[in-house]
Amino acid sequence: MDETLTKKSAFRKPKKAKKQPITWSLIKDQKQLIFMSVPLLAYIILFAYVPIWGWTMAFQDYKPALDFGDQKWVGFKHFKFLFQDDNFLRVLRNTLGMSIINLILGFVTAIILALLLNEIKKIFWKRTVQTISYLPHFLSWIIVTGIVATSLASDGIINDLLMKLHLIKEPILWLSEGKYFWGVVGASHVWKEVGWNTIIYLAAMASIDPALYEAADIDGASRYSKMRHVTLPGIKPTIVILLIMQVGHILEAGFEIQYLLGNGLVVDWAETIDIFVLKYGIAQGNYSMATAGGIFKTVVSVTMLLIANWTAKRLGEERLL
Amino acid sequence: MGGKSKSIFRLSMIMLLSLSVILSGCGGNNNAANSGSGNNGKQAESGNNTGDKVEPLEITAFIGEAGQQPTPDNKIYKKIKDELGVTIKMEFLAGDINQKLGVMIAGSDYPDIMTANTKLTAAGAFIPLEDLIEEHAPNLKKHYEKYWNMMKDPNDGHIYILPNYGAYNGEVSTTWYSGPAFWVQKAVLEDAGYPQVKTLDEYFDLIAKYKEKYPTIDGSPTIGFEILNYDWRNWGLFNAPQHLIGQPNDGGVVVKDGKAEIFADKDSAKQYYQKLNEVNAQGLVDKETFTQNYDQYLAKISSGTVLGMFDQHWNFQTAEDALTTQQKLERTYVGLPLVYDKNTKDHYLDRPALNLNNGFGISVNGKDKAVQILKMWDRMIQEDWQKVLSWGIEGEDYIVNEESRFMKTQEQRDDFTDATWKLANKADAFYKFSPKMQGYFEDGNATDAAAQPEEYKAGLKEYDKKFLEAYGYNSYVDFFSPAPENPIYYPAWSVDLVEGSEAKIVNTKQNDLSTKYLPKAILAKPTEFEAVWSDYAKEIGKLNIKAYEDRINEVLQWRIDTWTVK
Amino acid sequence: MANQSISPGHATAAAVNRRMGRRKLEPILFNTFNTLFMIFLVIVTLYPFLNTIVVSFNAGNDTIRGGLYWWPRQFTLQNYKAVFASGTIYNAFGISVARTLLSTVLNIFLTTMLAYTLSRKEYVFRKPITLIFILTMYFNAGLIPGYFLMKDLHLINTFWVYVIPSMMSAFNMIVIRTYIGTIPESLIESARIDGAGDFKIFWRIIFPLCKPVLATIALFVAVGAWNQWFDAFLYTSSKQELSTLQYELMKLISSSMNANSNPAVSNGAGMTQQSISMVTPLSIRAAVTVVASVPILLVYPFMQKYFVVGLNVGSVKE
Repeated sequence: MDETLTKKSAFRKPKKAKKQPITWSLIKDQKQLIFMSVPLLAYIILFAYVPIWGWTMAFQDYKPALDFGDQKWVGFKHFKFLFQDDNFLRVLRNTLGMSIINLILGFVTAIILALLLNEIKKIFWKRTVQTISYLPHFLSWIIVTGIVATSLASDGIINDLLMKLHLIKEPILWLSEGKYFWGVVGASHVWKEVGWNTIIYLAAMASIDPALYEAADIDGASRYSKMRHVTLPGIKPTIVILLIMQVGHILEAGFEIQYLLGNGLVVDWAETIDIFVLKYGIAQGNYSMATAGGIFKTVVSVTMLLIANWTAKRLGEERLL
Repeated sequence: MGGKSKSIFRLSMIMLLSLSVILSGCGGNNNAANSGSGNNGKQAESGNNTGDKVEPLEITAFIGEAGQQPTPDNKIYKKIKDELGVTIKMEFLAGDINQKLGVMIAGSDYPDIMTANTKLTAAGAFIPLEDLIEEHAPNLKKHYEKYWNMMKDPNDGHIYILPNYGAYNGEVSTTWYSGPAFWVQKAVLEDAGYPQVKTLDEYFDLIAKYKEKYPTIDGSPTIGFEILNYDWRNWGLFNAPQHLIGQPNDGGVVVKDGKAEIFADKDSAKQYYQKLNEVNAQGLVDKETFTQNYDQYLAKISSGTVLGMFDQHWNFQTAEDALTTQQKLERTYVGLPLVYDKNTKDHYLDRPALNLNNGFGISVNGKDKAVQILKMWDRMIQEDWQKVLSWGIEGEDYIVNEESRFMKTQEQRDDFTDATWKLANKADAFYKFSPKMQGYFEDGNATDAAAQPEEYKAGLKEYDKKFLEAYGYNSYVDFFSPAPENPIYYPAWSVDLVEGSEAKIVNTKQNDLSTKYLPKAILAKPTEFEAVWSDYAKEIGKLNIKAYEDRINEVLQWRIDTWTVK
Repeated sequence: MANQSISPGHATAAAVNRRMGRRKLEPILFNTFNTLFMIFLVIVTLYPFLNTIVVSFNAGNDTIRGGLYWWPRQFTLQNYKAVFASGTIYNAFGISVARTLLSTVLNIFLTTMLAYTLSRKEYVFRKPITLIFILTMYFNAGLIPGYFLMKDLHLINTFWVYVIPSMMSAFNMIVIRTYIGTIPESLIESARIDGAGDFKIFWRIIFPLCKPVLATIALFVAVGAWNQWFDAFLYTSSKQELSTLQYELMKLISSSMNANSNPAVSNGAGMTQQSISMVTPLSIRAAVTVVASVPILLVYPFMQKYFVVGLNVGSVKE
């Protein structure tokens, strides 16, 4: 059976055809692909899509003790509360600001580090650096922010260093001014995640055909031009895809770090959507409010995702869909 | 469907067992599981020995806060099992209580007993206990006699929860104060010749003088005053004004003649923050005070360089302990009950009130066991069991001296602070939320080792004896005026604002504003203080504070109506 | 040598070396800079973890003073003793290992299989299925509906609630699909001509060729599963024997913080000043972090051998 089936598919060309009609013969032809994917589709629909009925909560004053039929419907009340709050725009701005900083810093540093690691020739040293640089990923934010706060204190290492280099005369209270806050958050993210984020690029580099490097060597290419013309193009599909996916998470600036490093003096720069929703949603036992916040984020996410994907398509890059 | 899930479950258990045996090697804890189920028969036999026989019973319990499972061979739980026939299976919470309660309520997945939570009560998760107690639990009834009306739920008048603290036996006296005060290093008072400090102005004068005289302590710059406002630990910034006008701790409001009113934007508060602004300009307030986290705050205190702060004692207890271990006793603290002017009587020290919305209730799922459970507590509230739960086993955990006073050896004291030891030798998690006697036993011993006067004296260091002698006091509590009788409705902070209600949201917003504006006001140039303050007052004015005050007043009024003994 | 070629031991390496000898300065400068940078990176990223280890071995009431950096001041094992005291974590460790292994194996297999089908440009359902999966990354139905689903599926208080709901992830699928896209189409074509069906191509060709990315995904999944505590918190918290290591440790941290927080008691009960506890939340948290992360940290060095350039594609081609 296997024989006949595969014989047939041998003639199946990966058609670049547009809008091919779905015919029975095509489905028969792709039986194996269907067997391999449709059960998983059913699985994801069950576990991810079925519970979406819960979004109705956003339009109710949901009380967990009541049955669905007994809930009180309130329309857009919770969305109104969210959007009409005086702080909403500020919170949105902070979320976007920190998220964009994290996105750019995160990508740039991880790619540069991956490229530099790739240039290390001593395998042992390379693996040691890799392993050590990913250690902070395993620390919780509470530990990391503890160390960040200590380092940024008036007698902390950062101020010490800057004073010794005569860059500043007085210690700077980094956490007391809003203008530094986003930078501190961005730098902390890089510190914690840069090693972890390189892993995916290192894996992508492993797929680059060594023949390309050999050819470049024969052409007498410098290290820089090999990086530029062989390594980077080799990992570009990965970069583009990760970027598109990340753009969809534009409202995910996190809350732990802001919560732990924030204080009354910088609150105007530190509060994110997640913190806001947490404070007036879950912390008040208001599950409806939390759901409304979630729906808002999803709408923004999907919009951003589609825009990013469309842009990639226009630029002729790898894309998600 | 049911059969299928059962078989899946069985399969998973088999797989689990084999995996856990392989992975955890010898798996010393397998014994625990086995002995747990195999013991029931034995209990029935040993149960015969005691007068109050209780049927073997397994209770599942949800503890709404973090805790650790006791060791399988814990001696107190074993005693409970052997003598009362009761096995208690506890589930502790780690993570967010609101999330957990949400799914518990939605799924009606309740264990037999649960610690109090207003959400659970509102969801109808508890059963009313008043009739059952009257009928089956005479000792419990006696224990709560004085407090019976207070235990009733403000919404429907039923008793759902058995409060764990605040039902007292005998006169309440104390040698240890863990509440709010203006704290000052003992060295500061000693240096000034042990003065009586009553007012805020005197307090900061003292600190200013000391700081001038000793600009550094052990090589580090002296810090005059700390104000901690980190996460939920916000009282260091918020709560002082009510005490300064001679009011007790009512949380966010001041209650006068049974009427509650916020004080955050009132002149009484302004006076305090203006004073802080002034002393900040003098350089007395730590520059980093509003950016520090809790750990940094503790680190500064335990370095011995902080002269004073407004805080609750337990909040910086660990830092003070660190000072004691470093033998820097003169750097530990005395609490001072400061007021604005000498004519005001301080009211920091208060009489314990019934701890509402705390303690266990019996869930609708535990209904069938309710009588047995109450009988267990009824037995436990008697003195012999209370001694076991609080002090431990005589001879092992404490000694009784010739005057039949309960004492501990230093080793026994050390054990009591060792969390590891406690897991095997105390039933803390269960005892903490169960009904308990407080005050004194019939033989005059304190129900709690910490409150035993001899125990306090035995632990007093030479330095402290000298210090107290200079003031002519017996303990550091004597710095405070004795607690007057509580108003019937006290304390206002225990009023349930009702989750998600306008009152609660307003309260959250008001705290947000205070967190944002008060540091600004304190750090502003003295000339700019007025401007910041009026911004702050304006922002608070925009909130519907009335909703918040109304809710509190409504409950206070209910308390006055219901709790007053007729 | 400073300017070795990319794959050491390759036949052309020596020749390349000679040719590049002319421009020696640039590589030396580069390598010096690179090494210095890496040393800096190692110090900066090693510090937080090392500091956590230091704190975990230092007496709690001494740690509180701060100023603890590279070496313990008052060495103690007390913090670890406290972590292991209740004995529940041995069983929890077993559960955690089991769920991690099972999740990793299932994820790798299922996700790669799906990724392969969605990498086939001719597959008729490619677009809708891809879209349906991708969207799952951007919404969350919420706590309570999720709980009802697990309840309806009878997964509450079973081991399977750790595994079944997280057998696949859209993110990992996309990463693998992207990687598969870099595999030369000619390999697949020639297999097809040899008579291989899609499953066979996936299993015999794609799967082995994806080793580097699978190592990465395995790491992601394993770390994710290992660090997960939320499912134990929501779905199995009333069954102690199913508790996971992370959840047990989480309880430990919260309870140590609890012990230091408001006694909630009038009269200061429970707060004695005669004896001082050695263990503080700060030091417990450090010890817990070490206990929780060391087992999973060991996975990465093991995975690294799959990250060698050209390991697979090159060998297949020859």
